[in-house]
Amino acid sequence: MKFNLSVIMKFTSITKWEFKNTLKSKKFMMIFFLQLSVLFLMIIIFNSFVTNIESDNGISITPSLNGFASMDVLDQSGLISKSINPIINVVPLSYNSSLNNIAEGKTTGFLYVPGNVDQKIRLGQTIDMTVYLDSSDPKSSVVRDEVNSTAQIISQSYSNTLSASAVPQNTTTPTVNQESTGESLPLQIITKVMLVILLFLPLLLFGNMIIDTIVGEKERKTGEILIAMPMSQAQIIIGKSMAVVLTISLQVAMWLIILLIAGFHIDNPVLVFIFIFLTSIPIIGITSVVAAYSKNFKEAGIGLSIAYMGIVGFLIVPVLIYLSRKSFIANISPMTIVMRLFSGESISLVDYGISLATILIVSLISYWIAIKLFERDDIIFGPRPGILRLVYDLITFKKF
Amino acid sequence: MGSNEVMIKIESLTKSFGRIKALDDLNIEIKRGELLGIIGPNGAGKTTAIRMACCILKPDFGDIKIDGISIHEDPIRIKSMIGYLPEEPNLYERFKAKDLLKYFAELYGVPKNDINRRIDDLLELVGMTERKDDRINTFSKGLRQRISVARALVHDPEIIILDEPTMGLDPATANSIRDFVRNLKGNKTMILCTHYMAEADSLCDRVAILNKGKIIDVGTPDYLKSKIHGDVILKVRIQNLDVINIYKEQIMKFASVAAVDFVDGEYLISLKYRNEMSDIVDLFGNNVNSINTKEPTLEDVFINTVK
Repeated sequence: MKFNLSVIMKFTSITKWEFKNTLKSKKFMMIFFLQLSVLFLMIIIFNSFVTNIESDNGISITPSLNGFASMDVLDQSGLISKSINPIINVVPLSYNSSLNNIAEGKTTGFLYVPGNVDQKIRLGQTIDMTVYLDSSDPKSSVVRDEVNSTAQIISQSYSNTLSASAVPQNTTTPTVNQESTGESLPLQIITKVMLVILLFLPLLLFGNMIIDTIVGEKERKTGEILIAMPMSQAQIIIGKSMAVVLTISLQVAMWLIILLIAGFHIDNPVLVFIFIFLTSIPIIGITSVVAAYSKNFKEAGIGLSIAYMGIVGFLIVPVLIYLSRKSFIANISPMTIVMRLFSGESISLVDYGISLATILIVSLISYWIAIKLFERDDIIFGPRPGILRLVYDLITFKKF
Repeated sequence: MGSNEVMIKIESLTKSFGRIKALDDLNIEIKRGELLGIIGPNGAGKTTAIRMACCILKPDFGDIKIDGISIHEDPIRIKSMIGYLPEEPNLYERFKAKDLLKYFAELYGVPKNDINRRIDDLLELVGMTERKDDRINTFSKGLRQRISVARALVHDPEIIILDEPTMGLDPATANSIRDFVRNLKGNKTMILCTHYMAEADSLCDRVAILNKGKIIDVGTPDYLKSKIHGDVILKVRIQNLDVINIYKEQIMKFASVAAVDFVDGEYLISLKYRNEMSDIVDLFGNNVNSINTKEPTLEDVFINTVK
């Protein structure tokens, strides 16, 4: 066979037309923007989730009830009002104004705390607080419960303080103050892993494109005229795959821009993009193997689900290993490198090398198999051999 | 017919699909500018043979040389020399007619400057200029076939291979495709696979009869027809059937008679030449009901050969 650059580069014609047609397809554009909408939604949920995690109130994954009811408070010491659960919106007001507000239905309740609270506590005397409630308001029971609960917590707290002060100082247990640096492991898993999954998501969303473009040739019986073109099966597979890789790159670039605009801190965005782009090449290669072997869309769909389960496992498991042990081998997954890149970690050339080698090896093997399958007459025109037969042919180098 | 130079040489071509032998030691030569018809029953191996010539399938054994180049040696060069029209006009539905031709022109490596002019010429040739901006999925089968013909010719190939080009088309469209093939005759080397014997008879320089993966016979349509029936068949319907055998003996005495059959009250007399036709008719005297002549057709040849 004569090697001519223009002939070798002919796959770019396929890539160009496939990419052009993809962008012109209304169905594709609809899916594309739907995915972007889902991303927006995920960013909103993710942001509120992380905000809750990082707030003083601890982790809360339930919807916030802050400001559920309002209560006017006259508490000069601030002792009670600062300890009320935030589901009650506390409004400091005067006695008369508050009673008027209750009468007019503007607030659910009014708490009156006597002015000499501090002195009474020091003397160990009982504090009498008064709660005025609008009984017609269904929220009044919540306000009453919260005031009672707050009073009990404060009471318990003071009891403990008094008990402790009665114990001789030399017998008190020394307090240990713990100061932490960096994020806890659960927080890392949530913030880093979720972000890296968001970034890799487009790689798994366009598998159907390569299925459509390769299996579609068989189903629509257009493959015959394509194979009759003056180009090799390798050029056809690579040309079609590159169109999908380009589409994925476009989506990843848009996602990255959106995430940056949404306020996500991503160090090295260009390197992050390049690594995700490179990772899409073997993933599309594996998808091409499934597509080249499948007879129809249904079969390809099943094959794709199985393949993607493996791919997701291969990408995510090393990330979790890295977070828990900082294991060197975890760099086998490009997802680990991307996570380290956007976290601003310094990455050694060896770590990059491990990841790039994985990408290269998986790409070479997957595209080689896809091309060899597509070159087989029995795969394209039938009768299609079983997987075991193909494995046998592969092992024995027979017709593969 | 073109020159005597061999353009396509098929040597010992063999191909099996599983346990089924689709082609069994096929050998044939096609000359430059010749139009070779391939006829044969379903499953004879016609499509397999032409797919191999187009380098779509690989032979288990044997070779095809196109202008001296082996399909094993440089399949891409061979593919660029061939315009292939498959049996079904399956095209990319989402493309506009013009874009489809542009896509294939690029894949065939047509120079960029020539693409638009070439496409306009072809669309005019197949009568599709008005529909050039319409999507393929709006076309009838006939229109798709026209676009398919244009697609197969977009790179101005030296060889055109047509697999059942008129199958399932209305008579008008089928005739326009036949006219189109007729116009290309002599300029291009062509292979035409067809089930329509009349089509092969009227268009082809030579016809190969393929059955069970082997070529049973090959030659000009006239040669094939003459091999079976002779030049013409004389059909004589008689009134008095009691004298059948007497007539048969007398007819056989004529030198021009190749064979005599009596079917449904009618004599079928195969004549090698026509000179004695009137003498044979005179033999029946007043006992004649009707006289007809029938030219042997390729269909007769086909049925006789593959039965």
